[in-house]
Amino acid sequence: MHAQETFYDVMRSHGITRRSFVKFCTLTAAGLGLGHEFAGKIAHALETKPRTPVIWLHGLECTCCTESFIRSGNPLVGDVVLSMLSLDYDDTLMAAAGHQAEEILEQTIEKYDGQYILACEGNPPLNEDGMYCIQGGKPFIEKLRHMADHCKAIIAWGSCASWGCVQAAKPNPTQAVPIHKVIHDKPIIKVPGCPPIAEVMTGVITYMLAFERMPALDRQGRPKMFYGQRLHDKCYRRPHFDAGQFVEKFDDEGARRGYCLYKVGCKGPTTYNACSSIEWNGGLSWPVKSGHGCLGCAEDDFWDKGSFYSPVSDLGVTGNVEHTANKVGGVIAGAAAIGVAAHAAGTVVAKATSKKPTATAEEEIR
Amino acid sequence: MAAVTTPNGFELDDSGQRVVVDPICRIEGHLRIEVNLDENNVIRNAVSMGNMWRGLEVILQGRDPRDAWAFTERICGVCTGVHALQSVRAVEDALDIQIPTNANLIRNLMMLAQYTQDHLVHFYHLHALDWVDVVSALSADPKATSELQQAISRWPKSSPAYFSDVQKRLTKFVESGQLGIFANAYWGSPAYKLPPEANLLATTHYLEALDFQKEIIKIHTVFGGRNPHPNWLVGGMPCTIDIDNAGAAGTVSMTWLNMISDIIDQSIAFTDQVYIPDLKAIASFYKDWGFGGGLSSMNVLSYGEFPAHPNEYTNHSFMLPSGAIVDGDLSNVHDVDVRDPTQIQEFVSHSWYEYPDETVGYHPWDGVTEPKFELGPNTLGTKTSIEQIDESAKYSWLKAPRWRGHAMEVGPLARYLVAYARGREDIKEQVDSLLSELGLPITALFSTLGRTAARGLEASWSAHKMREVFDELMTNLKNGDSATANMDKFDPSTWPAEARGVGFGEAPRGALGHWVQIKDTKIDNYQCIVPTTWNASPRDPQGNIGAYEAALLGTPMANAEQPLEILRTIHSFDPCLACSTH
Amino acid sequence: MAIDTNTLKYLDNVPGPFYVFELPVRVWHWLHALSISTLIITGYLISSPPPSLHGEASTHFVFGYIRMIHFIAGMVFTVGLLVRFYWAFVGNYHARELFVIPVWRKDFWTGMLHELKYYAFLTRKSSKFVGHNPLAQIAMFFTNVLLGLFMICTGLALYSQGTGAGSWADRMFGWVFIIEPSSQTVRMWHLFGMWIFLTFVIIHIYMAIREDLYSRQNGVGCIISGFRRYRDDGPMGPQ
Ligand code: HEM
Ligand code: HEM
Ligand code: NFV
Ligand code: SF4
Ligand code: SF4
Ligand code: F3S
Ligand SMILES: [Mg+2]
Repeated sequence: MHAQETFYDVMRSHGITRRSFVKFCTLTAAGLGLGHEFAGKIAHALETKPRTPVIWLHGLECTCCTESFIRSGNPLVGDVVLSMLSLDYDDTLMAAAGHQAEEILEQTIEKYDGQYILACEGNPPLNEDGMYCIQGGKPFIEKLRHMADHCKAIIAWGSCASWGCVQAAKPNPTQAVPIHKVIHDKPIIKVPGCPPIAEVMTGVITYMLAFERMPALDRQGRPKMFYGQRLHDKCYRRPHFDAGQFVEKFDDEGARRGYCLYKVGCKGPTTYNACSSIEWNGGLSWPVKSGHGCLGCAEDDFWDKGSFYSPVSDLGVTGNVEHTANKVGGVIAGAAAIGVAAHAAGTVVAKATSKKPTATAEEEIR
Repeated sequence: MAAVTTPNGFELDDSGQRVVVDPICRIEGHLRIEVNLDENNVIRNAVSMGNMWRGLEVILQGRDPRDAWAFTERICGVCTGVHALQSVRAVEDALDIQIPTNANLIRNLMMLAQYTQDHLVHFYHLHALDWVDVVSALSADPKATSELQQAISRWPKSSPAYFSDVQKRLTKFVESGQLGIFANAYWGSPAYKLPPEANLLATTHYLEALDFQKEIIKIHTVFGGRNPHPNWLVGGMPCTIDIDNAGAAGTVSMTWLNMISDIIDQSIAFTDQVYIPDLKAIASFYKDWGFGGGLSSMNVLSYGEFPAHPNEYTNHSFMLPSGAIVDGDLSNVHDVDVRDPTQIQEFVSHSWYEYPDETVGYHPWDGVTEPKFELGPNTLGTKTSIEQIDESAKYSWLKAPRWRGHAMEVGPLARYLVAYARGREDIKEQVDSLLSELGLPITALFSTLGRTAARGLEASWSAHKMREVFDELMTNLKNGDSATANMDKFDPSTWPAEARGVGFGEAPRGALGHWVQIKDTKIDNYQCIVPTTWNASPRDPQGNIGAYEAALLGTPMANAEQPLEILRTIHSFDPCLACSTH
Repeated sequence: MAIDTNTLKYLDNVPGPFYVFELPVRVWHWLHALSISTLIITGYLISSPPPSLHGEASTHFVFGYIRMIHFIAGMVFTVGLLVRFYWAFVGNYHARELFVIPVWRKDFWTGMLHELKYYAFLTRKSSKFVGHNPLAQIAMFFTNVLLGLFMICTGLALYSQGTGAGSWADRMFGWVFIIEPSSQTVRMWHLFGMWIFLTFVIIHIYMAIREDLYSRQNGVGCIISGFRRYRDDGPMGPQ
């Protein structure tokens, strides 16, 4: 991150003169109905260290990532938005609308080419030329590509942007795809979860501002600091897992004693997220603590693993019908056992129907 | 088209200047509004276009009905949990599962918390900037702001120094030249009427509400493990309660119950001492801006919500009653039956879906979701670059739901009108006292501001109701009942070969229903009709226009270039487009 | 044995007995059988845990032990297969049969055809082979070698989730999650592999015993003593 490079430097490097810079500041102040003295202050601020601009786009999504973001307690989201970064575009929160809103995108590219962070919540559909998600009369994917072309790095918020999430669940009627399937030439930081934990979201973004670098990512492109371990590794119910003490059904004796939720479908053993350590909503609780198993909401394709209430998942070989490994495998092994028994019976029958055992006859059967 | 009159009595004239607003920001999801203005800049035609579709109804087919809540919950993260609730209710209805008392109380508590939080966020963060000029707050006198605050409420954060601090922070923010979410807006427009003091007050509360809203939803975190998207369960709630024994510390224990009680107190204080006084103060400056009534004076619908008695989804049980008002006849509230195939139907003649016969509507149990994207012949632009939509053809990803053929408005205002007409005392008292304080007749409710006011009143109502429900929960626990789930029919092997059910109730934005058909333990058909599907609905085969389109008609715009008035009225519905199309 | 079995064709008519399975192969076979049985049993229990034991969690470690035994057996299985692979280079001709399928040899396919007919009761006369019969050989290659490697890769990848990022298991087997990012899916394919193994074991043991009882050559005895013996001195092939 070249956060030291000020807005003024960038403008100069684009061949914009001091004169037009001052004019820009005066116009900004005037646009706000503010006096001349503001223009000077704005110019001064922009010549020193600017806040990193963030463009936050929304594709096909449910906006729960934004909702989660505004739940951040440390830091408070108000502080993030007012003092830490410059959220220049976010259709869920911004005051402007229509073409006044869309103009900001072009202004940002002009002012901060290669400097801004592109945050994307939701994902683009590819079917119908992308018209399952229309913005400004055009497919969302155009906006995404355009803004990605000029950004410094992309944050893929949530499981939608990281993996595809619910709209990409079978049969994925809109052909929704995660960001990395359509943007290949920019660093992408995946922050999965449906939604991600608020403090993880603000944690990732403030890390980038504070340390002026990308967070270390794991093999799948997730920040190691939050996605380095499974919930299961830090779950407070883990002693019950090891002891073989499981909730057999909801609200039973075991549930009241806080036994492990593995048998009622907890996906903690295969889910990388910070729920069991950072917890939700200011460290208050998390799904497993409240008594429901983890759905695996930060994992790729977690919707298509069969029932959320079974520890054994769908093999993903067929459509929506549940074909778990134990069901399919059981049928195969069962068929083998039956086959063997039948074959053994056949052998006995074959032997019995053959002639009285003489030396040659016996040999024949062998 | 020139001028036509719709069957539901609206004049549409598309001859004047066409104004397109896309995106409508400060909403959930993607919405486009196109209007035609006459020579006086008055809106004479309005088109509401739902810009997204994900296909949840298609995706749910063939899945385990017990999982459906998790899928449908992802319809929306703003009204999080509401779809999950109707989903578990639908499956419970289909399989005839009775939930325990505690589960009902907890669900009510979670929904009430959702109402309070959702309404609060809507008012301050999605709607306020239509009325409040943030930049004008810079020129306010903090002392005068403090006096204003103390005059309208006893909220303790009211010193001149406090407002001065906020103002300094804002000033610094503006001086930075990086205006973030406040950039390029309509500051200084003559449509803004508040004095600087009121602007500073409201802007300060914008920030306070941002901090506070995250506390309210901690109620979800306790019972559902997180928010957004807490966990639910067919048959009850997944949380266990064991207040006496060793397991208590890990389940819903006394400490958490205490915390919830505190949150409820704070929610009551915030809505009564900040939200409602702000609402009144702002409304008093906009009293003569009476536009945006649309369908509200004619047709409104509520399914009813908050069953006081578990498993009883009738007006005997509902704290907010169900009912339909047609043609503005408040003296005759119709009963609503969500199972009746002749009452609720969805049409697609102007929607990007396909029916075998598009002149008819389907009841959701027979519902079909077959996408078909196709633009009308008079569209300006191309398939992937629409400049102007052709509303005579298919033009939205929303279906058009109708009640006995009528386009209906749903939402807090509809709920309040139905409750008022049904003579619910708690609601009447709230409404009457607000109206008398502002010196307005009841007809003033049929407007953009009426919608916004009803939402505020309901936020306060739900905060107070949380206290009642919580006390009931405590009594029930005291009496030794700690069951939270009925698992008798959780195992699919206990289910009939075929079953169908409906979960219905009121989400923050209005009437919400989920209809499910189960065959051989799998979902055979799943249909949702969502509040914003009603309100933002496109036209139907008869040409009836929906609530958004109706509400915009007749509104004068101060400046055709600045869509402030459109935003106001559309925002007053609290649009949720991800919900509406799902 | 004076005869060099390496040069033997499948259906060559030569008198036995032959020394087929050298001691290390035999020892490995039984260790392998033991580890797989253990893996199947403990693996199944991991997928469907036994009923809960009440009482203090600290007094039980049932599931922990089930998993621990699985991991130990998994390590035995892994090391065993590696050693067995090594032995394919230094051992006799038959030590390589598990790893190399002579698809280029016509007599392999005629032998296979005959075995299929034999098991389908289409012919009554069994064949005689020195090493594996072609049907068994192909089944063993696909399950014990290929599926075995698959189980090792997925098993150790899952194991690396416990040992953590940067651990040896993660560095060596973490790549599995690049191919399949969902570890739940990896787990389910691992579980599915268990069922295929079980299927193999059922058929394999049946055939081994049946061979002993009804065919013209020994079966179980061979993997115990290492010697292939014949019950007649007729020609190797079908008659
Ligand atoms: C023939 C060989 C093997 C068989 C049949 C087998 C079978 C199984 C089965 C059925 C499961 C349960 C899956 C589930 O339901 O979640 C399992 C889990 C597992 N296996 Fe294996 N396995 C084999 C080899 C290995 C090897 C070589 C390793 C390496 C150490 C290994 C490590 C694991 C691990 C780490 C788990 C997950 C246990 C947990 O997290 O609780 N497996 N195995
Ligand atoms: C439980 C798991 C078992 C597994 C996974 C297994 C696997 C194998 C493998 C991989 C071989 C080939 C050896 C080599 O070429 O290196 C083999 C050969 C053999 N096994 Fe097993 N075995 C198992 C159990 C048994 C048992 C219980 C018996 C006897 C009742 C048996 C009898 C034989 C015989 C007779 C052969 C020689 C086959 C031939 O002549 O081609 N196996 N087994
Ligand atoms: N419309 C809608 Fe919702 C609500 N309230 C759903 O039922 O917002 Ni997202
Ligand atoms: S990741 Fe989940 S929570 Fe976030 S927008 Fe997508 S569906 Fe909503
Ligand atoms: S509850 Fe889930 S995460 Fe916790 S120990 Fe059990 S399986 Fe692991
Ligand atoms: S469902 Fe998601 S929120 Fe955490 S506990 Fe599981 S990753
Ligand atoms: Mg629908």
